[in-house]
Parts: sequence; C-alpha cells; structure tokens
Amino acid sequence: MSHWLPLVIYLAIGPIAGGLLAGWDRRISARMQSRRGPPILQPFYDVLKLCQKQNLVVRRGQNFYVLFFLLLVIFTGGLFFAGSDLLLVIFALTLAAVFFVLGAYTASSPYSFIGAERELIQMMAYEPMILLTAIGMYMVTKSFSVHDIAAHGTLLVLALPGIFLGFVYALEIKFRKSPFDLSSSHHAHQELVRGITTEFSGRALAMIEVAHWYENVFLLGWVYLFFAAWPLLGVAASLLVFGFVIFVDNVFARLKWRATIRGAWAVALALGFGNILALSLLHHW
Amino acid sequence: MAGFKKSPWIIHYDASSCNGCDIETLACLTPLFDVERLGVVNTGNPKHADIFVVTGAVNEQSKSVIRNLYEQMPEPKVVVAVGACASTGGIFRQCYNICGGVDCVIPVDVYVPGCAARPEAIIDGVVRAVGVLEERHRAMAQIGDRIDQTQYLRAEKSDAPQILALQYVAYQPDAQVYGEANVPPLQQTLEELERDFERMVFVKAEVNGRLIGSARGCANRQAAELSRVMVHPYFQGRGIGHLLLTKIELAFPGVQSLQIVIGNKSEQNLRWLQRQGYQAVQTEPSTPATTTVHLHKECK
Repeated sequence: MSHWLPLVIYLAIGPIAGGLLAGWDRRISARMQSRRGPPILQPFYDVLKLCQKQNLVVRRGQNFYVLFFLLLVIFTGGLFFAGSDLLLVIFALTLAAVFFVLGAYTASSPYSFIGAERELIQMMAYEPMILLTAIGMYMVTKSFSVHDIAAHGTLLVLALPGIFLGFVYALEIKFRKSPFDLSSSHHAHQELVRGITTEFSGRALAMIEVAHWYENVFLLGWVYLFFAAWPLLGVAASLLVFGFVIFVDNVFARLKWRATIRGAWAVALALGFGNILALSLLHHW
Repeated sequence: MAGFKKSPWIIHYDASSCNGCDIETLACLTPLFDVERLGVVNTGNPKHADIFVVTGAVNEQSKSVIRNLYEQMPEPKVVVAVGACASTGGIFRQCYNICGGVDCVIPVDVYVPGCAARPEAIIDGVVRAVGVLEERHRAMAQIGDRIDQTQYLRAEKSDAPQILALQYVAYQPDAQVYGEANVPPLQQTLEELERDFERMVFVKAEVNGRLIGSARGCANRQAAELSRVMVHPYFQGRGIGHLLLTKIELAFPGVQSLQIVIGNKSEQNLRWLQRQGYQAVQTEPSTPATTTVHLHKECK
C-alpha cells in the first residue's frame, strides 16, 4: 500500500507544488533583478486565463500532440513515484519530449520549427547524462528500481558526487534555464518569438505549462533520490538545487547550441563517466 | 474568474512613431515600475497575448502588419493606443503616407494620451484595458453558454448597424487575403446596407439579443442569389453557419436553384459550401486582384 502513496501524492499535489515552484521562481528572479515580482500564485492565474482564451490552431493535430506530451509527462512522473524501473522512466520522459517536438513540427511555422529543432538538440545534450545517472545509481544499489534505490541505506551522493554534479548540469537544460534555454526561454519572450511554444495558444499553452510543473516536480524527486537515506536532507537538497538553477538562470547569458552540446557531453564524459569509472575501479581493487 | 484580471499578457507594436512611446512602454518593465508585479508579461507573440499595445501613427506599410497581428490574437482581446500619434495620428496626421491613428485599421478600446505617454499613464491604460478584457470575456461567456438557444430570425432594417459591425469583424480574414480595398463587405456603408434591405431578404442569428451571425439573399427570377453568410469569429465552427444557410435557403421557397459567388482564394469557405451541397460551376475574373467562383445548388 505504501508503494502507491507517493504516486497518489504526486498526481494530486504535483501540479500544485510545481505551480508554486514556478511562482517562487518568478518571484526570486524578480528580486534578483531588484524588482518586486508577481505574486507566488501568478502561474495559476496564467493557466486559469489561458484556459478561458480562444483556442487558435494552425493544424488541429498540434493540440493532440500536446495532450500526449502532458499525459506522458504525468506518466513519467507516475512511474517514478510508483517506484518503477528507472530506465523505463527515462524512456517515457524522452517519449514525452518527442511528442512536444512533434506538436511544434505539426504547426508549420518557421519559429516553431526552429524551436523544435533546438529542443531536439537540447535532448541530445542532456540524454547521455541522464542515462549515466541511472547507471551510476545501479552500480551503487545494484538495482534500477526507484523503490529499491530509495530504500538503499547509504547516501548515494557520497558515492556519486560527479554524477550528482553532472545531473544538476543536465537539470539546467531540462528546466529550460539560461544558459541552455535555446528552444524557449522563460524571460526572453521576443527572441525567435517564443521558440517551440510559438504556435500554441489558449488551452494548449495551459497544458504545456501544467506539463512543465509536473516535469519539474519529477526532476526534483530525482534529485531527492541522491539523498534518499536522509529524507529531510533530500528535501532541502532538492529545494537548494532548484534555487541554484534559478540563480544560474539569472547570472548567465545564453550559450550557442554547439557550446551547449559540447559542454553537456564534456560534463557527461568527465563527471558522469569518470565517476562510473572510478566506482568500477574501486570495486575491482 | 480571476484569470483575466491577474494575468494580462501584452504584445506591443511600434507602428511608425519617433520611438518615444515605444521606449516608455518598455520602461514599464524596469525595476522602477515593474509591471510584472501585476502579472503583465511582454510576450512578443500575438498568439499568447491578450492586450495589443500600439504606439505611433499608422502608415501604409504598418497597416497590414497591425491587422495581421490583431487577427492572430485569440479572443477575447483588447487594443490600447498609446500616445498622441497612435490615438489620432498626432503631429504626423497630415503626412502623405499616414492614414491616422490605430483606429483607422482596427477597433481601439483604450486611448492613452501623452507625447510621449508617461509610463504611469501607460500602466493606467493597461489596467483600464484589463477591465474591458474582463467585461468582454464575461459577455462572450454568457453568449457561449446559451449558444444552443440561438434564434434564427428575419432581420429588419433596424438591425443594419449591428450587421455592418459584424460584417466588419467577420470579413477581416478576407482583407488579409485579398487586400482591404478588394473586399466589398468592408467597403459598404450604412446607407448602402439599408438600401439593400429594400431588395434583399436578411436573416440573423441572435443570442440574448446580440447578433452573432447573418446572411442575405435576393430572388432573381428562377434562381436566388445568396451572399454574405457570416458568423462572428468567436462562434465559428459550432454549426451556426449551417443553420443560417438553411434559414436563408428556406426564405426562397419558389426558386429552382440557389447561387453563391465567393472569391477563389477563400478555400475554407469554398470547402464548407461544397459540404453544404453547392457545386462550383464557373470561375471568372471580377477585378484585377480577385477571381470569383460561382457556386450552384439545385432545389428539390
């Protein structure tokens, strides 16, 4: 029974927590720029409004893909919080992102095309590190199951410091934060006319927002996994990582796509693969 | 609902000004004024925007851009003209290439005075626009809730002003395709429309006393010529057009055939009419810029 509790909590509280995190993000960003910033509940107001707007589409198919994006993101997080196989979770996460990209491609507009292509590049950039994270966790706990990893007695981050840092690097990309907000930026609404989300309006845009909330909660859940042996430390670490991501977002300018890929792969190789190499050497020694 | 009041997303466009108002509009985003605390987001994408802020007088080149941006915004939407030039044409009013304020292209809801308009005034204009936005949304929602109670009636001469206003809104997409000067419905005046009532039959679709659709036709010996079957863009795709067409067809019981003439580039309308049982019989050039398609339907 306790197996299902995290899943139910995720499905029910996920969007609320995600929305609050997004509101917190906007507030903190504003404070960092010495502005007052919007209320914490602002993301909810936005989504509420978007739901009441007219739904303009270029092709009807585009909203269908966005619906699948939302469902698959919820499914990904659901698998994760139900304690399922980590590799399956990664597979579902990738599939969700692919549906988002397909949606943008369906709405044939040059802006959403560029956004979709950049989203693909971002996926190529973070995917190796995410996979290495799963492998690293397997090497320590001898299991891919999230349930077993969470139940493991030791702090994973002690054995996987490189992988943890690499994962935080990948999170920057996954959260669509500077310096890796290539496909669609939270702040620059006028560059490439909002990238991948350009052609979505009304309810479809609201669905994308809610999908991002779910996704963010799921990703922070993964950060928690590194500290699962000490739950309080885990929660604190997740929030700290989120705060760090916001900080980096406000400090850095955007990178070009080549630099993004090179940087992400270099980090995956040095920190991710290096960590795994060290682990296996220590093991055999 | 709180949504519209708390989250007005803005797109801002500089028609052809000295950029003074333009810069003041951006100044609203700075730490000193920080409009984001009111939930305002400067989107740059018409498909995400609720409020269209235009600065500067409108010239021949920016005309089509403004109309295009306005058309791409999802309903409900509000237009704010910022500064003297955007409101009236300002000191550029008599220039050879200026056609006036923003209201010479699209309907404007809020005028912000000033040269250049101060950020405080612009924020005040946006807050007023939010009020209009809410009002409009409430009206739309009320009509949307009662769309099944739509009444299809004969229109009287007293409906002419409402029909003309609807015509102006409904034919905007055509203006984009053919150019405003080539779309007769957009050129029609109230007097002309009222004169049409003497020779044509008009029907209307009405909800809560508000006109959301209309069609007209006139008998021509054995055939009836139908025209201007239109539905407000917000209520399209809900079968109102089909019922309007049926109603106007029934207004001519004695005729043998029905005819409709439309522009050849209106592909969606063409397909829709074909689904309603009309067949294209001939194509002919009508003005240098447009070619018309004649559609035909036999009456049983």
